[in-house]
Amino acid sequence: MDDAADTGALQSLLMDRSLSDPEVLAMSGTAPDYPILPDVSVLKIGGQSVIDRGRAAVYPIVEELAEIKQSHPILIGTGAGTRARHAYAIATGLGLPTGVLTDIGAAVSGQNASMLGHLMARYGVPVVSESAFAAVALYLAQCGAAIFPGMPPYDMWQHVPAEGVIPPYRTDAGCFLVAEVFGARQMIYVKDEDGLYTANPKTDESAALIPEITVDELIERDLQDLVIERPVLELLSRARHIRSVQVINGLRPGLISRALRGEHVGTIITAA
Amino acid sequence: MTPEPTFATKDVASVFARQTLLDRDLVRQADGPREVVRLLPWLNVVTLGGRSIIDRGAGTVKPVVEELRAAMSEHRMLVLTGPGVRARHVLGVGLDLGLPTGVLASLMATEASQNGHLIAALLADEGVSYLSHQSVALQLAVHLSASRAAVSNGFPPYGIYEFPPPVGKIPPHRTDAGAFLLADAYGARNTVYVKDVDGVYTSDPATADGGKPELLRRVGAAELLAMDIETLPIDLIVLELMATAKHINDIQIVNGLTPGNITRALSGEHVGTIIHAARSPSEDPGGAGRPARGDASRG
Repeated sequence: MDDAADTGALQSLLMDRSLSDPEVLAMSGTAPDYPILPDVSVLKIGGQSVIDRGRAAVYPIVEELAEIKQSHPILIGTGAGTRARHAYAIATGLGLPTGVLTDIGAAVSGQNASMLGHLMARYGVPVVSESAFAAVALYLAQCGAAIFPGMPPYDMWQHVPAEGVIPPYRTDAGCFLVAEVFGARQMIYVKDEDGLYTANPKTDESAALIPEITVDELIERDLQDLVIERPVLELLSRARHIRSVQVINGLRPGLISRALRGEHVGTIITAA
Repeated sequence: MTPEPTFATKDVASVFARQTLLDRDLVRQADGPREVVRLLPWLNVVTLGGRSIIDRGAGTVKPVVEELRAAMSEHRMLVLTGPGVRARHVLGVGLDLGLPTGVLASLMATEASQNGHLIAALLADEGVSYLSHQSVALQLAVHLSASRAAVSNGFPPYGIYEFPPPVGKIPPHRTDAGAFLLADAYGARNTVYVKDVDGVYTSDPATADGGKPELLRRVGAAELLAMDIETLPIDLIVLELMATAKHINDIQIVNGLTPGNITRALSGEHVGTIIHAARSPSEDPGGAGRPARGDASRG
């Protein structure tokens, strides 16, 4: 909005009309986008792909993060992993709803955040919860990094999938939305594969790496398996700040730092 | 000496172990069609509109609260509140400041919470309390065993994790969506939206040119979406969510300005517009030839 007249027009539409009104929706899109933490990058450290591997995978990453945070401020989200899969399997068998599974998954990503937090404590890095995000700017200014559990707090209000009960919006989505709301510089997913493949490289030898792809192309390909939660693709296509994400292999030393510096070292998925 | 472990994942054995949880066929094998438990089959979720009910002040709110008070003895209720006009104001200020959707969602949710405090205060002498999202998620059962009703925030706890919407920046998950998702997660018996209109009209009575607006008594969610009506008394996203819901097959929109409507809807009577999840009228078990939701004996 460029001037006070526009501000007044929007305010009066908001007072009078339905919030589903197409004119109101369109006008809300003309409001400015103020990036809250434009210099900060959000990293997601995989649960199954990284943390469940133990110190062989995690120690080198901790060292790399401790070094790179001095020049590149980072918010570090954690995935859930194998314990969440076990709990989902039990809960699914019991016929429990998606909301209960979401709560359980959140606890596991919280454990992973706690473990990573203890390893990074000596570098001054705190673990924050949603309610502590208000102080995150201070932590980042002080020490260049903060850790958060990647699961979004949807709990009993989680969207229900078309089939089954596994929560559709998990830690990939949660980390993406943190990056988007803060208007972060970039969103990087640290996994145990070099990026996105045409099939699951762990089970299909013919799988080929896709270095770069758009959301539309990816949706069109309708891959059977995917390295990133499917709902992230839709969130990415609608996001106003984060217009691409990169998936990289955290088991290869140095790639996190290179990705943070803006290098293309994995798969980049772009909104358009 | 055991050798240094290599890059080997320490798995907990389960049907989902080593999966991405994104391979459709693998997930379907273990998480296929199955009956989902109704956690609180006796629960009634009653949503009070912010603008349509609470912003009208004492003249409207008091009779509605008295009706809830009287209905409590028969129906266990979670009352959820919408935010109303103050949320519109803070939304306007926040948009003007360039704040993102997730921040706007948190700001608007505060107003819905404040309206919940107002309603809970008026029913406190009946043992009714305002519950936080956390209490609703983890302790609703005990609260509704200690008291016949509780009040909470209609907005879901999405906060800064709100989705960017397809168009513009207004948070898409508001009171109507929050109430629906929660009701479905708990497998609620009744999901009633209390508004200031008799239900869904084929066009907005205020702007209809030519044809007289007609009240839709019973309509499918998908059908209603396809009708592309400009002004609905319920957020469109609820109609989309109905397609995947596990338990909630219908919701009812009732006019809270008409005394007795809330009570009658809680008893399963059809007093407003019922929106059902069936994709076609032939799939609608409560449709033609059968009195809609007439069975008050359940729960």
